Amino acid sequence: MGGRGVADNLFSDIVAGFGQLLHSAGVPLAPEQSVRFARAISAAQPETVDELYWIARVTLLTGHNQTEIFDAVFNQVFMGLIDFADSRGQSMHAAPPESTPAGERSPNADERSGQSSTSNNVTSATPGESNTDDQNSEDPQVLAAVSDTERLAEKDFASCTEDELALIRRLVEQLPVVPPPRVGRRMKRHSSGRKIDIRATLRRAHRYGGDPVDMVMRKRIQRPRRVVLIADVSGSMEPYARVYLHLMRGAVQALGAEAFVFATRLTRLTRALGVTHPDVAYRKAVAAAPDWSGGTRIGQTLTQFLNEYGRRGLARGAVIVIVSDGWEVDSPGLVGEAMERLSRLAHHIVWVNPRKAAESFQPLVGGMAAAMPYIDTFISGHSLRALEEVMAAIGNATNRITPVATTTKVSV
Amino acid sequence: MSITEHIPTIGALTEQLATHDYLVDPGLASALFCAVRLPQPLLLEGEAGVGKTQAAKALASLLDTPLIRLQCFEGIDASEALYEWNYPRQLLGIRVAEAQGTHLAEDSLFSRDFLIERPLLQALEHPGPNPAVLLIDEVDRADEEFEAFLFEMLAESSVTVPELGTLKAVISPIVILTSNRTRDLHDALKRRCLYHWIDYPDLAHATAIVRLRVPLAPKDLVEQVTQAVQRLRGLDVQKPPGVAEAIDWVHAAMLLGVGRLDGAAVEQTLGSVLKYREDQDVARTQGLAWVAGE
Ligand SMILES: Nc1ncnc2c1ncn2[C@@H]1O[C@H](COP(=O)(O)OP(=O)(O)OP(=O)(O)O)[C@@H](O)[C@H]1O
Ligand SMILES: [Mg+2]
Repeated sequence: MGGRGVADNLFSDIVAGFGQLLHSAGVPLAPEQSVRFARAISAAQPETVDELYWIARVTLLTGHNQTEIFDAVFNQVFMGLIDFADSRGQSMHAAPPESTPAGERSPNADERSGQSSTSNNVTSATPGESNTDDQNSEDPQVLAAVSDTERLAEKDFASCTEDELALIRRLVEQLPVVPPPRVGRRMKRHSSGRKIDIRATLRRAHRYGGDPVDMVMRKRIQRPRRVVLIADVSGSMEPYARVYLHLMRGAVQALGAEAFVFATRLTRLTRALGVTHPDVAYRKAVAAAPDWSGGTRIGQTLTQFLNEYGRRGLARGAVIVIVSDGWEVDSPGLVGEAMERLSRLAHHIVWVNPRKAAESFQPLVGGMAAAMPYIDTFISGHSLRALEEVMAAIGNATNRITPVATTTKVSV
Repeated sequence: MSITEHIPTIGALTEQLATHDYLVDPGLASALFCAVRLPQPLLLEGEAGVGKTQAAKALASLLDTPLIRLQCFEGIDASEALYEWNYPRQLLGIRVAEAQGTHLAEDSLFSRDFLIERPLLQALEHPGPNPAVLLIDEVDRADEEFEAFLFEMLAESSVTVPELGTLKAVISPIVILTSNRTRDLHDALKRRCLYHWIDYPDLAHATAIVRLRVPLAPKDLVEQVTQAVQRLRGLDVQKPPGVAEAIDWVHAAMLLGVGRLDGAAVEQTLGSVLKYREDQDVARTQGLAWVAGE
């Protein structure tokens, strides 16, 4: 498209910088997506920031759960910088995104996506912070609320009042499940993986008669690992179950995690927890899991998980988080067997046992003892403070990116 | 007219879709524009009844091109999606040849004459002038293996039939995939696609859509219904009503001669907006007058 030389240069700089920033903020971008973004800009010739917003969003995102990060980065880069109608033909120099003034935000920036409330913490970051490691790691609102309720932080959920639990659930929902990516380190890591040619690999795989797509996908893609949360909601877990449901909901929405609950049998809740209102999600979850607060069958449920989901790829290379007190008396042997199978598929198994903190806790009885050898991280998670450990454990396990190791699992 | 001339801008696409009875907001307009103009497959997600399927239909009708639909289901495989050999016809061919005392060579037995084209092949072979619109509906229902197969087809715009070799698209189809998110699609497939999440329309947009679909409905009734639908969505129902249900509801109300939505009118027409008995009970417990906004 002719006649807009300056603007075109401006675009290509911004496109490159914006893509990088988005990538480091946790929205993985393949080179083909950036190319697509650039092509869409030249086809659509956006003249307003709103138009640019939508072109960027439909070309760069791959899922609804990335919208929040996207909005934050978009606002940071584009707000106050440009209105393309004005910038056309002017010798406007494109500032690299790192030094982009971010203080000014268009008044409608948050409304644009139709979901405003939660992105405030991220969008308000000042430009100087945008390259530091711990950007946005702490939501000031959440922290303030937490300090108000400091006394609650250490209290075992089991001894909290209903009001306290309600407050805790709200806090849990807002806690960042995974520490935000570290910009510097991440960029370095990704630079090596970027040059690989998908098509070439496809053809090569063809020649070996393997499953080409499988190979390409497993080899190539570097991203945070899938998180699968499986929570015990049997009677003995009653005081904790609701709190964890809120944690799961946060994880489903922010991370695209998979969520399951069980007492005597497994129920998948990913979809129910994906709906918008927390109370509605909670009620749906209870309705979807008919054996809420019944007895426990850990071994059988884990086996069911493996058979129905785990082997079909859901557990492969994933971070599995099991929340359970491990009170299984019927068949601890089955628990051990299932855990062994799970550990072969999963990347990392976190077991959260809220009863671990209790004085009477005996790890050596029943299902818990059988599971112990296969657990990578064992934590209590019985209080708000302890939940931070849970998040950190998930974060540590997911942020580790080891694309090469996973290729060994592909059979050619 | 080339596609570029036909759809020069996002604004032009928006207007043309409206003349084909489909109202889009800027987000969906941008997504469909990119799908057509780049061109690039587009993955549409959103709750039931927000207009995912209709998007593909409207696009096909404005391009005056066939809509080729592949409805995915668990266990779908290449023979359902791509092509199948017409065994009865092949058998017949063999018998005829035998009766004539001749012999049918294997090559001619596996020639185009005996091939049944399924949606994917139909879309690839569509001769133009405009590309066909290929709707791959509810792709999340298919298993991962089929997804991998789709990925390959989308990447190369071609498919390989062992007996015939590689068949390349005459004109690459415009591809729209929809998912109801019952499971996560593979990242490679997602990255191959543009992405758009269709939200429930806001009140004004919903009202405009319903009025377009039910032109004879009184304006007040339409507004009451779209507001009531929003209220119902806030309840703990299994199937929150979408645009489709709002349209059905207005239809039902008009059929019964209801001009204004009140508790009694809701009672009469509830089944048209909440299809499950349990969901209707939830609404009743909440109060039908409340649903009607009284
Ligand atoms: N933007 C719109 N403009 C006009 N009509 C619309 C729009 N959105 C939805 N509709 C109407 O709503 C009906 C339902 O839409 P559609 O079947 O495409 O929904 P869907 O998202 O595919 O739902 P499902 O997930 O149940 O398949 C359509 O028949 C159409 O009449
Ligand atoms: Mg549909």
